[in-house]
Amino acid sequence: MLTRCLIIICGLFFLALANASDSVKMAIGDWSFENVVAENLNFDITIGAQGFELTAQADSLQLAAPVGRITDLKLHCNKLSFRVDKLSCESGQISFKQHDLGLQNIVFNLIAMPENDHYQINITGLKLAAAQFNLNANIEGNHWQVSVDSDLVYLPSLISFLSSYLSEQVVHSVAEWSVDGHIKLSADINGQDGHFDNITLKLATSLLNLSDEPGQYVTEDVATLLAFELINKQPTWQWKAEVNIDEGQGYAEPVFIDFSSTPVSFIAEGSWQQDESKLTIKKALFEQESIVQIRGDFVGNIEYINQLNVVVEQTDIALLYQHWLQPFLVGTAIDDIALYGQFSLDYQQQADDYHLSLGVDKVFIDDHGGRFSIDSLSGMIGWSNYHYLVQTDLVWQSGYIYAIPIGQSQIKAQAESSSLVLLEPWQLPILDGELQLNEFSLHRPDGEHLKWTFDGLLTPISMESLSLALEWPLLHGKLSGVIPRVSYADKHIQVDGALLVKLFDGTTIIRDLQLNAPFGALPQLSANVDLTGLDLELLTQTFDFGKITGKLDGTMTNLRLSNWQPVQFDAHFATPDGDRSRRRISQKAVDNLSQIGGGAGGLLSRSFLRFFEDFSYQRLGLSCQLRNEVCEMSGVGETEQGYYIVKGGGLPPRINVVGYTRRVDWPDLIERLKAVSQSSGPVVQ
Amino acid sequence: MKLFKWLTAGIMGVMLVSCVTINIYFPAAAAEKAADRIIEDVWGPETTPKESTTPEEQQSSFNLPEKSLVLTVLNWLVSPVEAAEVNINISSPAINTLQSQMKARHSHLKTHYASGAIGLTADGLITIRDAKAIPLKSRNSVKRLVADENKDRKALYAEIARANGHPEWRADIQSTFARRWVKKAAKGWWYQNGGSWQVK
Repeated sequence: MLTRCLIIICGLFFLALANASDSVKMAIGDWSFENVVAENLNFDITIGAQGFELTAQADSLQLAAPVGRITDLKLHCNKLSFRVDKLSCESGQISFKQHDLGLQNIVFNLIAMPENDHYQINITGLKLAAAQFNLNANIEGNHWQVSVDSDLVYLPSLISFLSSYLSEQVVHSVAEWSVDGHIKLSADINGQDGHFDNITLKLATSLLNLSDEPGQYVTEDVATLLAFELINKQPTWQWKAEVNIDEGQGYAEPVFIDFSSTPVSFIAEGSWQQDESKLTIKKALFEQESIVQIRGDFVGNIEYINQLNVVVEQTDIALLYQHWLQPFLVGTAIDDIALYGQFSLDYQQQADDYHLSLGVDKVFIDDHGGRFSIDSLSGMIGWSNYHYLVQTDLVWQSGYIYAIPIGQSQIKAQAESSSLVLLEPWQLPILDGELQLNEFSLHRPDGEHLKWTFDGLLTPISMESLSLALEWPLLHGKLSGVIPRVSYADKHIQVDGALLVKLFDGTTIIRDLQLNAPFGALPQLSANVDLTGLDLELLTQTFDFGKITGKLDGTMTNLRLSNWQPVQFDAHFATPDGDRSRRRISQKAVDNLSQIGGGAGGLLSRSFLRFFEDFSYQRLGLSCQLRNEVCEMSGVGETEQGYYIVKGGGLPPRINVVGYTRRVDWPDLIERLKAVSQSSGPVVQ
Repeated sequence: MKLFKWLTAGIMGVMLVSCVTINIYFPAAAAEKAADRIIEDVWGPETTPKESTTPEEQQSSFNLPEKSLVLTVLNWLVSPVEAAEVNINISSPAINTLQSQMKARHSHLKTHYASGAIGLTADGLITIRDAKAIPLKSRNSVKRLVADENKDRKALYAEIARANGHPEWRADIQSTFARRWVKKAAKGWWYQNGGSWQVK
């Protein structure tokens, strides 16, 4: 429009030249042409050494939107030439005021060849958003090309300037962000008539600070280089993008990146099919220096995935975990672990169906809470949520679950439709025994919690090795069991069937074993335990309790361990009915038992009974109902004020041990069992 | 006639069996005291000075579902089981472990309570209230602290209920703690009240 005006002005100028003088001044006053209206328009044309010189002024000029009304217009063309087919203005200057653009002082060069439909204009010094822009425009027939570049633009000023040209929705969305920083812009745009052919855009940001209202997406002092190319291949737009960020810090919940120490680059190309709203990304490469390289491609749109492939090349899992995995795992059992080794991933998705293969190579996992560890884990883990088989083949050298060591093991399984099943039984060495898992199956439908079940067999584990691992007194015997079913759902493990412990020549059966949140803040274990035919001699030898001979039966129901400490049970131990074994109890054992019952030791040695090494008894036993750190105690029979812990019988000398304390502080009792020291004396009858 | 006797006896039998109204009162005052002891230990001198508690502020009553007319009549005939106030015990190895973990963690959380980054929720947990108050680099570690703290708090409420023989009290214990955490919070700390954030 401006070009056409100039041509018209020049036409008037030549009309003026008809007067054949060196200087022509024209006061046109109000003037209008098509949508252009000028008020108080004046011309001053002189013929100088350089050629024609034009100065024009107008109080105001009404142009089409978006420029609108401009005032105080001054135009000066230092070297104006006009031929029949060409109008040119070199070293032109134009100044004006406009509501949004403010006061402008622009230098320009203009060439117009209307006959050939060729126009060229170069503008420098255009001030937008308090920054200077330069603009070159070329029009050749119906082809046009525009180049724009700027110096550093202050982003808040740019947003404020653009807000009057943007839709209300966009302005509202932008207003939800706090924005600070500078941007440098360079763009080349080519087109024909009213549409674009291609756009090449280069943006450089410095000290870019962005933050959304909740602070979920934040950048601090970020420096970015962005190159973007868009080619119009109607109905498809082809594009290429390259982004490099090498300064500042960024946070996109929950991932934090320090770009200064680990610069990030993203290169991709693809297309946008406007009529189908289909976005294609191919050859995408995301790289975070020293951390990870991810290749991928995508077909779909913002709301729907048609196809997505992601490949993570072999990478160091320690850094990957720290930067990309751990933030997503906060609150899970693996949010604080040491992790070393190599990792790779191949993920493929078609619509809602996906499968993945995760490769691990010599991975070492160690929970900082000391709950588990695995050493030298290698192989592939496969998963699929549809009818597509993916193999899992994992092997590790050793590991720990709490204090229990596990040995070398291999899992061969296959996954399909959100389920994983074993291809062959899985043998898990535990201490010197083995847990054999058959029919293991794991199920995790999308959006649901993990569930797994297996049945298995626990081949004998020696109690020596178990007690050594758990730092218990050295026990002798075997732990084994047939486990019809173990199931896990909602952080809860339930063991059907029974575990059998051959201990002290007797049988201990652990039933109704349940484990809640095994790796949670407070693991809960509950069970019922039956003990039959324990040899007291072996038992008392092991715990250095003082010799007792005879048998012992017992039950421990409602047993609950919280954080592996007993907090509740109903325990009852006693000589079995009809026991025919030899039942003798030593002085030391009498002393110790009486102390457990609330008395104290040492009295025997002060009485005449000290001359007897041991005593015959009819029955012994002790019950403890543990609640709230208090043990409600009873024995094998009631006396007037107390209860029998040992009831004498058989051949003399006989002895009764009577307990009087009914309520015993549990930690005290444990201390007594450990030390068996303080004494107020048992009642010896 | 015989049938009528059987029916009457049967119905009376069923009614006598079903008429027992179990009133297990949640010992609110004891729970508050227990909560205060834990809070004072975890938060240390940071907590506000002791203020008088209002006993039985929110006594809960658990009744068998829907008292029918028959039950009401029978309750008149047969006096309901008298409910005795019980104490809340908070001493167990598991509770002590959680308490010491929370106490150790508090030294890291304290500054974030004061800055307003973390607030106390109405359900006795904590949450990141103003992420912007936490430096970008520390956000994930604070998130982990918050997750760990909430895991411990949930476990604590459940364990206190279990340790006192009433797992069903978990929700009451949690809401008691929720009130006490807020009461004991230091000046300048943020807490949720009726869906909005308020500062002490």
